[in-house]
Amino acid sequence: MAFDPVVLFFLLGAVAGLAKSDLKIPMAIYEALSIYLLLAIGLMGGVKLAESELLPLLLPGLAVLAVGALIPLIAFPVLLWLGRMPRADSASIAAHYGSVSVVTFSVAVALLAARGIDYEGHMVVFLVLLEIPALIIGILLARMGTPGTTRWGKTLHEVVFGKSIFLLAGGLVIGFIAGPVHIEPLEPLFFDLFKGVLALFLLEMGLVASSRIADVRQYGVFLVLFAIIMPVGSAVLGTLLGFALGLSLGGTVLLATLYASASYIAAPAAMRIAVPRANPALSIGASLGVTFPFNIFLGVPLYFWMAQTLYSLGG
Amino acid sequence: MQSEEMFLLTVVAEAILEEMLIEEIRRQGAAGYTVTDARGWGRHGKRRGNWRQGGNIKVEVVASAELCDRIAARFKEQFEADYGLLMFTVPVTLKN
Repeated sequence: MAFDPVVLFFLLGAVAGLAKSDLKIPMAIYEALSIYLLLAIGLMGGVKLAESELLPLLLPGLAVLAVGALIPLIAFPVLLWLGRMPRADSASIAAHYGSVSVVTFSVAVALLAARGIDYEGHMVVFLVLLEIPALIIGILLARMGTPGTTRWGKTLHEVVFGKSIFLLAGGLVIGFIAGPVHIEPLEPLFFDLFKGVLALFLLEMGLVASSRIADVRQYGVFLVLFAIIMPVGSAVLGTLLGFALGLSLGGTVLLATLYASASYIAAPAAMRIAVPRANPALSIGASLGVTFPFNIFLGVPLYFWMAQTLYSLGG
Repeated sequence: MQSEEMFLLTVVAEAILEEMLIEEIRRQGAAGYTVTDARGWGRHGKRRGNWRQGGNIKVEVVASAELCDRIAARFKEQFEADYGLLMFTVPVTLKN
């Protein structure tokens, strides 16, 4: 299976956290790294998008969104009935799993780049779009049958103008306008240094996740199993859809990764405002403590293998 | 030097609430506020402050006793049930 050494930095951070090392990435640097990653991913997608026709993307785009919206709708009843979790928690966790993780996506992009496999630029458009419907579905699921009001205005503002969507979409537009020629002066910073910055970011992710790994025991076996089985199931959906839509091998791997990934930046912030009754420790613990490490170490290589196998069978 | 007896309202809350707290403080007519990042431990677990969702803020307002009470009552009503929230007042002497 394909494996990228960049994920070892996550392990290094996790070990530092578990061993109570004094290693700490300063908040300002963490912020700078995340701004860089969001812009770089947006720019990469925008430049690729500038080289492709836009109109034929409409129908596949709708299909990707529709299937993406299925994920929280599948996750919710599983958590509610099989896991016997409270409605608010089930809805919040379902929203986290329907939403996407930029860093998981970045790890998959790095893996593809290392193998010289190209992918469609509009995968980044999907990355931006897939974040939103799952959050809205999650809020609606939490609201069904419960009295009280939802802070919709605040929540939507948090989702759309929160830095993740804003910078991803902004990078995408800038990359699209600039195109492959005019982006050249920015390439050394945003493209060539991408993997090194990703490594530093993963180091911080490892530190943060280690504080969640310690809590995982409290969540029970069900949630841990859910946090591993759900992404694999979603990735199967993504692989089949990517193949059916005629995406390239790289595009299918990224779609599977998007479906499999769980949000831990945009979703927690939005859910904390919109569904305050849900316990954030459960959803962030599952997505960051279990699903994120699973995805970057085993998941992404597995999804790569799944897509490769399907494409070699299906021609 | 002129001195005025006022109250200092200190609110420690989840960082995610910052905008909503500030809006309410302004709506109630406070003359100003100060926000600082904070970390600590309490009934809602350890708040490390190294991750946006995990951070706390400390909001301070100097105002009359009546205004401090009104702001605190609004926060209690809106946020106490679901969010980490700690509020207290101390008498202070305003020096300018």
